Amino acid sequence: MQFNLLFEAFGKVMLDPINFLFVFIGVTAGIIVGALPGLTATMGVALLIPFTYGLDPVQGLIMLLGLFSGGIYGGSISAILIGVPGTPSAAATVLDGHVMGKKGLAGKAIGMATIASFFGGLMSALIMTFCSPQIARIALKFGPPEFFALAFFGLGIIITVSGKSILKGLISGIFGLMITTIGFDPLSGCPRLTFGSIELLGGITFIPALIGLFGYAQVFQGIEKILILPTVKSELKNIIPRLKEIKSVFKTMVKSMLIGTFIGAVPGTGCDIAAFVSYGEARRSSKHPERFGTGILEGVAAPETGNNAATGGAMIPMLTLGVPGDAVTAVLLGALTIHGFQPGPLLFRDHPEVVYPIFAGMILAQFVMLGVGLGGLRFFARIINIDRRVLTPVIFLLCVVGSYAMRFSFFDVGVSLIIGIIAYFMNYYEFPGSPILLALILGPMVEQNLRRSLIISHGDPLIFITRPISAAFIIIGIFIIITSYYRIKKAMEKEAQASIAGKEKID
Amino acid sequence: MKKEDIGIGIGLLILSTWLFWYVGRYSSREVYFYGPDFFPRILAIMMFILGIGLIINALLGNSLKMGDRIDPKGFVRLLIAIAICIGYLFLTNILGFATATFVFLFILMTFLKQKGIFIRLFSSLTTAILVWGIFRYFLVIPLPEGWLF
Repeated sequence: MQFNLLFEAFGKVMLDPINFLFVFIGVTAGIIVGALPGLTATMGVALLIPFTYGLDPVQGLIMLLGLFSGGIYGGSISAILIGVPGTPSAAATVLDGHVMGKKGLAGKAIGMATIASFFGGLMSALIMTFCSPQIARIALKFGPPEFFALAFFGLGIIITVSGKSILKGLISGIFGLMITTIGFDPLSGCPRLTFGSIELLGGITFIPALIGLFGYAQVFQGIEKILILPTVKSELKNIIPRLKEIKSVFKTMVKSMLIGTFIGAVPGTGCDIAAFVSYGEARRSSKHPERFGTGILEGVAAPETGNNAATGGAMIPMLTLGVPGDAVTAVLLGALTIHGFQPGPLLFRDHPEVVYPIFAGMILAQFVMLGVGLGGLRFFARIINIDRRVLTPVIFLLCVVGSYAMRFSFFDVGVSLIIGIIAYFMNYYEFPGSPILLALILGPMVEQNLRRSLIISHGDPLIFITRPISAAFIIIGIFIIITSYYRIKKAMEKEAQASIAGKEKID
Repeated sequence: MKKEDIGIGIGLLILSTWLFWYVGRYSSREVYFYGPDFFPRILAIMMFILGIGLIINALLGNSLKMGDRIDPKGFVRLLIAIAICIGYLFLTNILGFATATFVFLFILMTFLKQKGIFIRLFSSLTTAILVWGIFRYFLVIPLPEGWLF
């Protein structure tokens, strides 16, 4: 680490108004892209790359980094306001964020999401700056058994997002895993469960499923009850979380930041896994796990810190080893190559004039994101005050366009509508949608790495226990499953007893 | 919701049995043991067990109480809204995305009894233009084209 180059880069990036402008453009564009359901930060970065051809490489790259950070944060805005996550990484934010929105606390929820995203992004950017090579060395030790163990650990989170019934949550999770088996088998290429349909060869793509589960289900319920439910007015005073409120969730934010940074650093994972694992761990270790899902700040802070922390984490293997941490960094890797730089260990030695400004740009992007996010709070909070009869059709439209935009396919719109109808009925029969989403994220990773591991070990399942990293994840995963189950069950029984006692008192 | 849970449980048993049988056609032991049928069959077994669990849970009286019920009039309203959406999808290829979107939003807002024709016109028009503009010029994503915009 050459500190003189680092400080020089900080000065160049942060004090030059032109560089600041490019970061601002990137962050703002990222927030818009992230807030629109169906569009992802990956898509935003890919679409912005051609605009960077004529720019200085540093300016182009810091603009893309701004879009990355803004895009991951932007998903929380629509998650909170309309219950549709703008990006997959904001799906966990819906669980408490949208409930807060329905209570008239949308502004506060977005404020918390902004501060949590800033904290997670900033700390992981600092970790990326100072600890990249060390973390990359651990991440490189991941093979198929480790990836399976990590996915198993992630699936254990299903218990914490199962809502009132863990059994129904598990059923939803298994259903989600079944959906991931549609399409080409990843190892043999054999088409499965396609029933002769060409469109199903690619499987059920993630974005239409996400929009169906959260977007359409929400819209359908809104249309059904539009004449019954009153419009809730969002509170516009005290929307920036107070210091006391931030202090109350600070421990959760620190834990989520560490979880997010580590998960982001593992190649092939991403911000969405980081968000769910952070949320699950926050709930599991909370003194009041029963309050999660009822609209609490901690339920927003945990996933938002986790997902933005994964941005810095994902940059680590990309820069140090030339291996992308997630889909967005895979595109960023392409951007670096287009500008004539080869990511990997030699990048630090041969082009420090690019590496250190990337560090500085990533840190600057967090401050710009904080400013834009907090500055736009009142505007965002007012959106929920729009008449439901106007807002619901607009959300319906965004769901249609969002599910179309990924592959320009009406088939995806149809799939999304069908999943939305299923999710609409699921809500009435208390089957949660979040486990399906978690299963869609982790399912391919589980299957591929399970089969690869068993092939490598000639069918010996002990491969998952004999490798230390894999064994650690399996043991921690089992521990989390058991403790989460008992804690949440106990908390729900307590809540049920309190509810009965309250009713008896009234009688 | 005891009856509902038993019904869903039976449905899951049927689904998992069918899946276990159906994916047998993908068995490829001659290539390697853990073929395309391996994972779906594990899932089918797990779903079968959970289905039985759901039925037993319901018979023991541990089902959750039914919360909100579906409002019949609201459900009919929903079906009509979905039909309007399907009509919109066909219309985009005839009229073009922006025009069809304006028509879709206006009709849906009217159907949902939004009073104030100017609010409906203004909201539908600005939303259609904004979304079309963002996708066409900012994101450069091709949208369906028709006779008009």
